Amino acid sequence: MTAGRPAVVWGLVAGHAAAAGRRVSVADVCAVAVGCAQVSGAWVTVSGGRRPDFAVCVTGPTGEQLAELQLTLGEGPCHDVLASAAPVLAADLGDADSGRRWPGFAASAGRLGAGAVFAFPLSVGAIRAGVMGLYRGSPGPLPGTQLGDALILADAATLLLLDGLRHYGDGATVAAGGLPVNGQSPDLALHRAEIDQATGMLTMQLGTGIAEAFARLRAYAYVNDRRLADVASDIVDRRLRLHRDPGGNDAP
Amino acid sequence: MDADLLSDTFVALADTMVDDFDVIDFLHMLTDRSARLLSVSAAGVVLADPRGQLRVAAASSDEAGLIELFQVQNDQGPCLDCFRTGQPVTAADLAGPGQRWPRFAASAARAGFRSVDALPMRLRDQVIGALNLFSAGVGPLGLAELRIGQALADVATIGLLQERTVRRAETLAEQLQAALNSRVVIEQAKGKLAERTGLDMNQAFTLLRQRARNTNERLTDVARYVIDSPTADFPPQPRG
Repeated sequence: MTAGRPAVVWGLVAGHAAAAGRRVSVADVCAVAVGCAQVSGAWVTVSGGRRPDFAVCVTGPTGEQLAELQLTLGEGPCHDVLASAAPVLAADLGDADSGRRWPGFAASAGRLGAGAVFAFPLSVGAIRAGVMGLYRGSPGPLPGTQLGDALILADAATLLLLDGLRHYGDGATVAAGGLPVNGQSPDLALHRAEIDQATGMLTMQLGTGIAEAFARLRAYAYVNDRRLADVASDIVDRRLRLHRDPGGNDAP
Repeated sequence: MDADLLSDTFVALADTMVDDFDVIDFLHMLTDRSARLLSVSAAGVVLADPRGQLRVAAASSDEAGLIELFQVQNDQGPCLDCFRTGQPVTAADLAGPGQRWPRFAASAARAGFRSVDALPMRLRDQVIGALNLFSAGVGPLGLAELRIGQALADVATIGLLQERTVRRAETLAEQLQAALNSRVVIEQAKGKLAERTGLDMNQAFTLLRQRARNTNERLTDVARYVIDSPTADFPPQPRG
């Protein structure tokens, strides 16, 4: 196991943003993904509640076309990710499996020059923020270390999107680009069950959905300069309760 | 070893592996049964996440000390060694002198365990995780118990792959991530239920499992419904 890898990958993302002189955003995640996973391009689409899904960042025109093609056709690896909440790794879009599974997409993607598409859910349990897609011109699987890096980068993109959520009256959400991650480690793999349990508890305490509860939990830890796992532990042991935002729409 | 209990365990596990079963529910049952059958204090299934971590998919108890023991093993311990070597690893007396894993031994003592066996979950040449058996007493387990323990670890592997033919490496990766995400969904739902009812996490989990059993629904589907419901309700009962 390479336990320190998430910190290394996150360092690359932060470095990419710093080199461009801006705060970290999903665009940096996409750019780093191309290098780490050794693919031809990357994109991130967000699931916008009642709004149709849309791409928030792409590394090039082919990626953009692949993302939009799947949204338009309603089929493809990224589309399937939304249903399965697990990665969908189409290592060879030219094979019979892919042709059967996505007849429209596989053919069009081939014409666009994509041999393989790898799609990753941007999710934490029941929280779903969107999908990260990668494509490579040549077919072939994603080797273990590249897969690991892609999963770490998907976690980073998830947290960036959740921290950047802007809430509108109808409950729809869109991601605003360029917002900083709350100083917390983006390492969802180090995640403990207590963090998930505390998130579930907060949906009731705060009267919110699961994504917002998770964002509030992380924000509380950040503002109070405490480890996320410690705050979660206090909530699960019922030593700490969070309250509805008195100034917000969710006031009791 | 109780022969009736042995056959009963494997029949029960096989019965669970029907169409579209819930892998976390299945692994949970497997850890429960493993602990009873092998007369150990606790059992847990740990999976290797390609992100570079070992993660708990199911454990026979939610006790914090036990969960901590899995966490520690990202640095050292029999489970990590088992994963790295693909071989069973035994720690017969964690209170004895000359410990290979001092941090792990200290955590085990705090949690009330004296010995551990870690058995590899293998798929061809790949190690995808391990079945961990914890005892309050001094080990090691007998050869018969270890053989049955390994059979249970193999059943866990089969269950995880949901009996699909794994033709491509990425199918395994997809299944692993689906299982790990299901685990998170269930933890989130446990928290929500616990907050609504005042129950503790173990009781909330029992409630979720009972409901899924009674109505023949997948545990993860029930958990998702609870999370989506503003009042943490269960799905409407199918009318018979």
